[in-house]
Amino acid sequence: MSETTQAAKPAPVLGRLAENSQIVLLGLLVLLCIGISLGSPQFYSVENIIAILRQCSLVLIVAAGMTMLLIAAEVDLSVGASLAFSGVVAMDVTNKTGSVALGVLAGILFGGAVGLFNGLVVTRLRVNSLIATIATMMILQGSVFLYSREAVQNKHQQVAFTEISTGYVGPVPIPVIIAAVVFVAAFIVLRYTTIGRYIYAVGANQKAARLSGIRPERLKLLVFVVTGLLTGLAGLILTSLMNAGQPTAGRGFELTVIAAVILGGTSLLGGRGTLIGTLLGVLVLKVIDNGIIILRWDQNLQMVVPGVVIIVATYLDLIRSRANAR
Amino acid sequence: MPADAATAAVVRPAGPALEMAGIGKRFPGVLALENVDLTLEPGKVHALMGENGAGKSTLIKILAGVYQRDAGTVRIGGAEADLRSPRDALRAGIKVVFQEIALISEFTVAENIFLEEYPVNGLGSIRWSTIRKEAAALFARLGFDVDPAAKVGQLPVSQQQMVEIARALAHEARIVVMDEPTSSLTPNEVALLFTVIRRLTGLGIAVLYVTHKLDEVFEIADTVTVLRDGRHISTRPIGAHTHESLIQDMIGRKIDNLFPRERGAARGDVVVKVEGLSTDKLKDVSFEAKAGEVLGFFGLMGAGRTELAKAIVGFDPIRTGRISIGGTPLVPHNTRTGVALGIGLLTEDRKSEGLMLELPVLQNTSLAALEDFARAGFVDEGRERSAVQQFVDRFRVKTPSLNQQIKNLSGGNQQKVLLARWLMRGLKVIVVDEPTRGIDVGAKSEIFALIDRLAGEGLAVIMMTSEMPELLGLSDRIAVMAEGRITAVMDREGATQEAILNAAIA
Amino acid sequence: MPQSPSLSAAAGPKRPTELLRALFRRNETVLLVCLVALIVFFSFASGTFLTTRNITNVLGQASLAMIAGIGIGVVVLAGEIDVSIGSLVGAVGIPLVVVMNQTGSLELGMAAALLLALGVGVANGYLAAYLGINSLIVTLGTMFVIRGGIYLYTGQRAISDDLQLESFYQMGNGRLLGTVPYPALVALVLLVAFVYLMRHRPFGRQIYAVGGNPEVARLAGYNVKRLKFAAFVICSLLAGISGILLSSRLGSAVHVAGLGFEFQVVAAVVLGGVSLAGGVGSLLGVALGVLILAFLSNGLGMLNIATEWQLVITGLIIIAAVAFDELKRRRQ
Repeated sequence: MSETTQAAKPAPVLGRLAENSQIVLLGLLVLLCIGISLGSPQFYSVENIIAILRQCSLVLIVAAGMTMLLIAAEVDLSVGASLAFSGVVAMDVTNKTGSVALGVLAGILFGGAVGLFNGLVVTRLRVNSLIATIATMMILQGSVFLYSREAVQNKHQQVAFTEISTGYVGPVPIPVIIAAVVFVAAFIVLRYTTIGRYIYAVGANQKAARLSGIRPERLKLLVFVVTGLLTGLAGLILTSLMNAGQPTAGRGFELTVIAAVILGGTSLLGGRGTLIGTLLGVLVLKVIDNGIIILRWDQNLQMVVPGVVIIVATYLDLIRSRANAR
Repeated sequence: MPADAATAAVVRPAGPALEMAGIGKRFPGVLALENVDLTLEPGKVHALMGENGAGKSTLIKILAGVYQRDAGTVRIGGAEADLRSPRDALRAGIKVVFQEIALISEFTVAENIFLEEYPVNGLGSIRWSTIRKEAAALFARLGFDVDPAAKVGQLPVSQQQMVEIARALAHEARIVVMDEPTSSLTPNEVALLFTVIRRLTGLGIAVLYVTHKLDEVFEIADTVTVLRDGRHISTRPIGAHTHESLIQDMIGRKIDNLFPRERGAARGDVVVKVEGLSTDKLKDVSFEAKAGEVLGFFGLMGAGRTELAKAIVGFDPIRTGRISIGGTPLVPHNTRTGVALGIGLLTEDRKSEGLMLELPVLQNTSLAALEDFARAGFVDEGRERSAVQQFVDRFRVKTPSLNQQIKNLSGGNQQKVLLARWLMRGLKVIVVDEPTRGIDVGAKSEIFALIDRLAGEGLAVIMMTSEMPELLGLSDRIAVMAEGRITAVMDREGATQEAILNAAIA
Repeated sequence: MPQSPSLSAAAGPKRPTELLRALFRRNETVLLVCLVALIVFFSFASGTFLTTRNITNVLGQASLAMIAGIGIGVVVLAGEIDVSIGSLVGAVGIPLVVVMNQTGSLELGMAAALLLALGVGVANGYLAAYLGINSLIVTLGTMFVIRGGIYLYTGQRAISDDLQLESFYQMGNGRLLGTVPYPALVALVLLVAFVYLMRHRPFGRQIYAVGGNPEVARLAGYNVKRLKFAAFVICSLLAGISGILLSSRLGSAVHVAGLGFEFQVVAAVVLGGVSLAGGVGSLLGVALGVLILAFLSNGLGMLNIATEWQLVITGLIIIAAVAFDELKRRRQ
């Protein structure tokens, strides 16, 4: 107790900033946009904005699931590896059956199966989800090469497959629409349904939830599966974007997703977080990414930035909870 | 080299060993201590008494360097001391034996004794043989029956407590603080402890003995300080006290006023029936509880009360036995079935099993009853709010709004919210485990009144408690537990403190 | 006092069967049996497995993970974790080779490499122990920052060793008396030193106590933050040594060196019976865990099983080991 009070000294300004993280994020986003557009006017070009949104949608789809997982006090580090593998599966099934629909289904279900595996290992075998999903990540990274050593190309050049990522409905790219639908659905579930409430409850205090007749294990399993399905969906879009299933795709993707979610104010300790925050977190990270590219900075910075962001965001979260505890 | 205090030469300082004056400590929402004085004389046993929430543990945590005081001064051996960390306290010669076991369970008994300062040789290597020998010698001298080579985690709680006490004596402490040291000891072990304490005082060590057990105080203490609601009430030599005057100081009013009984003696049908229940800790427990009665369970620490509470609501697995609620067996054995059948647990450990600290009062209250406000899985927040508001008003929960995070409420108000959580759900049976732990006296009587009212409204209340006044004040019937068994069941009219304690020791 | 003195002396002489049972309850014994079984199996399955050359080769390969594993073991025993070591192992090669190229001195290169490792350890330790940020997040972050830093500096190319010092080559590739690889010797020396440190020095016991129960450790007067900080620094320095040996083996600073290494090492540590909850386990167990994974990998290679299988198997082993540990703890 006193250890936390002793450590709670750092600047109250930081604490207050962290308290209103969403406003801060919005401000940060605006500043970033202004800054980058000053350096490179093409930032505001239609192509660039669409590119940013496409990039965002990929992350946002998975981040929606990850937000729920973190609120339920679990985490999934295997989403990057699962993203690549589901894409490979989707492409391969499409090639083998000639049916894009079957390919799509296979990709998404594969992601769901990975989620189910993670969920079972965590809830049944009681393995800490960080370790369990690191292990799943290793398993997937190894087995995706056993499945296919090279990128699986769109052999029959199925246009319907590439349309998933490059098509438009009116002026809006399809991935953005998919992401919007996922986002709204997740938002409604978390905000307005009993399941959403129970996710918060389980993350805030699993024992209390169980005493109240909730089954935390089932709920967590469900959230793992949902995250898996969404990862499969994102993997599908990525594969469509590259027009090939890349076994090496998605390296570090998990970190980007988690960094975005934590940046958005969701607590790693569970029980706290919002999807609006996650949306802002994703936008900030992807605008930074985009800025690095169009300002012609070294692209390797794209690896450094989420690493720094995740540490800083977690620290701010910590200050916030300590400020609350006083 | 940490020598056994019993053999160390002790210099007897002329003045008091410890003077605490005007001590104040505030936690968010609670004034835990206000202007408290305490003076310990070398070679004397000073008892610190008070009910739960009186401020005893806060005071000794300040003394141990765990908490920092907000106001007041501390002088040790005449010199002003600033106890900023446990290390400072240890250096100042203060050794605190906490009620919660503070041992490393993976280490052996012997190693735990030397945790503060390992004996090392000239090269800085730990001298394990010294540790083993000195630990064995220490236990032999104290007459404690503990194997120094055993891993602490594998010992029963009572032995762990003896290790804790021994550990305090292995160091050159001038002030030894013992926080409820007898809570899990047998009478023989208690007698042994008192012999040890007398030997300590014989060497000029000042002992602060924290307890709420009257008999022990009259046996061992020279002086008694009583705290109530964080304030200093009295300090008198033990000879100036009677049982009645001590209780008067501790409670501040007659017990009768604390337990307003309004419900009648009405008894309904049997709603809980437990037959031959066994778990890892419980052995063949059987009992019944009727609608409209309070069935009190008493037992010493480790008797199995909390284990029983958790087993009968479906939270902990059981090995054998049958539990039925309102005639329906609790199968499958989980809390979901339990809640559906109408049995719920008001936990003793609010922080880790009851409250969702980060979430608002609203969510905390409606948790168990959420489905009543949902249609097709969607929560009707309007209905939820008005229902929660009703309970908040009825129970007089002091909160600025329903959106207030529950961690900002006082212990008493948190407890009311948790009670409301269950009553919103509409239970037949409520199991309350130490319902007034960590709650100030004022809120206590409110909780008692609520429990009384619930029973009056026809709930069966099963109350686990280690507080004798609570047990005698509220129960219709009393079951006593020892070592996982029920050793006696008696009506309140026929129950005496002696009979209950005898059954608890058996 | 109604006490029987005979009861209190429960630690009397034990019967041999009891001793045997106590021995088998020890995690290390089980691991040793597994290791021996593995070696026996592979020596039957492959003719070239049980040769001095192959065994010493495996020991040489295992030593890098062993050295880093000791560090991870210390950190995990202190109740924390460090997954940045893979990046660090890759990163230390850069100052090593660059400084060596510029000054011509192996010693200066090594000093620069260790300085970098020290810096990373201080950063990790400060963020995790003093600021109190979850150590997995901190080190995941630094893992990416360091790897990104490597790519930024090298432009994703290897930096070659222009000097081609014999001493540099010998460090990672030489053998004592032509049989025992030097890295294995380094690993052995470090293992002995750290086993001693963790068992027989107050510092080691304090690390255990801090990981086992930080609150108790604090009440015993320990500086919990400083001890955890020290664990991070030790871990990074050991990873630095491991990285220096790796550069020597590779003969250059390779930008992708050490990718995924952290997870291999964590797997070995967990397999070795060190609980991620902290405070439980031994460095001897870690060493056995490393050896089991190394022989497994080598044996699978000899049976012409794809290297990717090793990743899959390692992942499964982590899950199995942690699940088993969890089961054991729930039993108690």
